[in-house]
Amino acid sequence: MRNALLVASREYAENARTKGFWIGILMLPVILVVAIQVTRWLENDATPTRYFTVVDQEGHYLEEIDRRLDLRYAGRVLGAFQSWTQSNFREEYRQAPIDFENMPPMDLKGDADAYLELLIQSDPKAFDSLLEEGGIQRRIDEVADFLREDASEFETPRRLFVRVELPAEMDPAGEPREIAGGLKEYLNGDQKLANGDQQIDLFALLVIPQGVDNAFQPQEERGLIGEIADGLTKDKAPKVEYWSINLADSDLPNQLQSILNRELRRSQYLVRGMDTVVVNDVQGMHLPVKKLDPGKAEGEEEVSQADVLRDYAPIGFVYLLWISIMQVASMLLNNTVEEKSNRIIEVLLSSVTAWELMAGKLIGIAAIGITILTCWLGSAAGLLWYWSSPEAVLISNLLDVIFDDTLLPAFIFYFLGGYFMYAGIFLAIGSVCNTIKEAQNFMGPVMMIMMVPIFTMMFIPKDPHGTLATVLSWIPLYTPFIMMNRAAAEPPMFDLVGTSILLVVSNIAVLWLCGRIFRTGILRTGQPPRLVEMLRWMRRRAD
Amino acid sequence: MTDLALQLQGVTKRYGDFTAVDQVSLEVPKGSIYGFLGPNGAGKTTTIRMILDIVKPTAGSISVLGRPSALDVRDRIGYLPEEKGLYKKMKAWAVIAYFAALKRVDRKTAKNKAYELLERYGLKDFADSKIEALSKGMSQKVQVLASIAHDPEFVILDEPFSGLDPVNQQVMEEVIRDMSKTGSTIVFSTHVMAHAERICDRIVLIAKGQIIFDGTIPEAQRSMPNRVRLVGDVEEVQLTGLPGVQQARTFEEEGRDGGWELILDESADPGDILRACFDQRIELRSYDHREPTLHDVFVHLVGEDAREATLR
Repeated sequence: MRNALLVASREYAENARTKGFWIGILMLPVILVVAIQVTRWLENDATPTRYFTVVDQEGHYLEEIDRRLDLRYAGRVLGAFQSWTQSNFREEYRQAPIDFENMPPMDLKGDADAYLELLIQSDPKAFDSLLEEGGIQRRIDEVADFLREDASEFETPRRLFVRVELPAEMDPAGEPREIAGGLKEYLNGDQKLANGDQQIDLFALLVIPQGVDNAFQPQEERGLIGEIADGLTKDKAPKVEYWSINLADSDLPNQLQSILNRELRRSQYLVRGMDTVVVNDVQGMHLPVKKLDPGKAEGEEEVSQADVLRDYAPIGFVYLLWISIMQVASMLLNNTVEEKSNRIIEVLLSSVTAWELMAGKLIGIAAIGITILTCWLGSAAGLLWYWSSPEAVLISNLLDVIFDDTLLPAFIFYFLGGYFMYAGIFLAIGSVCNTIKEAQNFMGPVMMIMMVPIFTMMFIPKDPHGTLATVLSWIPLYTPFIMMNRAAAEPPMFDLVGTSILLVVSNIAVLWLCGRIFRTGILRTGQPPRLVEMLRWMRRRAD
Repeated sequence: MTDLALQLQGVTKRYGDFTAVDQVSLEVPKGSIYGFLGPNGAGKTTTIRMILDIVKPTAGSISVLGRPSALDVRDRIGYLPEEKGLYKKMKAWAVIAYFAALKRVDRKTAKNKAYELLERYGLKDFADSKIEALSKGMSQKVQVLASIAHDPEFVILDEPFSGLDPVNQQVMEEVIRDMSKTGSTIVFSTHVMAHAERICDRIVLIAKGQIIFDGTIPEAQRSMPNRVRLVGDVEEVQLTGLPGVQQARTFEEEGRDGGWELILDESADPGDILRACFDQRIELRSYDHREPTLHDVFVHLVGEDAREATLR
């Protein structure tokens, strides 16, 4: 045992002393931070203001486009204002954000328009005033008493989309194709467009030709022939045209399209004699759905954000588990091959037994794995804590989930269970190969087997006790990953205990068999053995 | 308590149909320096691996320091394998200390010992260098030191001289002598006869897995026929007519004229040959009677098998 620990501490020191190791560990959090920051930056600053022009030959769309874009912009300003207040209010107010707006439920956020509508309804005047000159400043003044002393300036977000007028020399009533042709140089970026005293790049042109609405006008029964004729003319009916050389940035066309459809419907309600106020009222209706979990204590069945996170957190854990096991097990493979190709193994074997050597390597690298995981979880917690101002609730929920009292111990158990299984296999592979290249040939099939939990990881939480999940849970190679995947859903006791016992037993079996391969393979030079030969080594007592 | 450091009895190792080591029996007394000589592929390394219980013999028994397996006494054994290699990323002192620690030397003592050895054998300046920064010869020296840092009673060195320059070969001889002075038993294998000749008490000659000679160096030399070499204008018949000459044959030596080699009766006196030459007015440009070197013995005993080895 003493020798095994000596080997282990050397393995640990050799890896932990290199700069590359720490850089490798820190890469993950750093990439995470950079990715998040870059996305934020891209969202806020990177996309330039998009200037576009609209030719509305139907007449009623233009106003609606302007109004809607204004409202959306106001919504953004309001959102920015809210997060600003959250991070700049004094501590006592931040705990309970002031409900100065009678904010509608946040879970509608996915449906931007509906959300906006509710916002507007909740306080139409306040909303309109936001768009006026100095509107936001009034808001800032209103909350001045709640602000911290070192509060930062509020930065009003800029408009992302700005509509400009068609150049005066163009005829807005002309053929769409002609208009587009006339603007070609601007749209191609060859020429700047004058907008007031500014020179701007024209990003897009929207043409709503005369007669687009006709296809939707209510019609009398016209019989089969008439309908066929309608179908034919419908194809020839004019279409709204969106011209831009950049079709990858779909934000503007998507927004315009949703505004157009909204306006089309509104105008058709009118045409069909429906009361638009009633229609708007009805459209704004929203039935809140409360998610409940019968598994929870009475009175607390309501599913919170933390619960949702908790259901999905295992995916993160599975991924972490997979990456870390993969990483440390390949470390083991590499340094076994190194010891073998450097012929260090013979000296080692004159000092320690093959079992001691193997045990030492397994323990040393397991310690490395635990170090890596501690660093990752630690830095994740650190980063979340650092970011915890605006989305405070979400973050603290996340932290609660990560350091949950069942998930974390499960994670540690499955890490060790998975580690010893794959480490044993990798060690055996390493022991029979003289070069990394040879080892890679063996690794191919092993990798394919190992990929399965990654493929299934997204589906398992949706049906955590289904056939797929249950069957895979009982395959020891997959037990750690799949059971981790199912951990939050509280799998049946039979599965939980049974697979754990099976995992431990198969760990012992794998280590024992791989130990036999290791013992024989490690001293072998020349061609790697065939599988049959290795099976023979497993049965044989000694060479 | 036996006074043998190592005893092999009828040790045989077969790999499939191939017999690597065939019925080897050997006794190495404690405190001696024993040379394992033999051409490449003779079975030296396999024998050494069996001695260390890294490879099990097919038949026969081995006793190391009185125990049936070297693993029982592995802390008292030092081993330098034929294929040299160390952890490239470790520092020289750390490698030595690590291997000593594996032999149950406590860490602090091991570290001190490492520095002491590195200093004594001229590697003081490289003690804190990583192995990958050392030359091949230097790292080999480090490995030798790593194998003896725990002051083993019994040291097995497989080809300790290969890859070393002449100066370091002398250092290596010094290491072996120093070890011997402290009472350790040393077995080393080589195919460079000169080293064996200088430092071995006894040698074993192995070829094709079998022992063909086991004894002291004078014994080895005596196993060679008595012979003289001479160069001069002389006919074969004149030479065979000389007293005690069994056979005369030509030989060629690099950089010199070819000459004659006379194989003599065991009892013949080389002085008589020289006198007879004078008497018969045989004109000699050179006359050479010397003890055969181990090299000669080797070539004589191993013959063709050795060709590959001696050319290296």
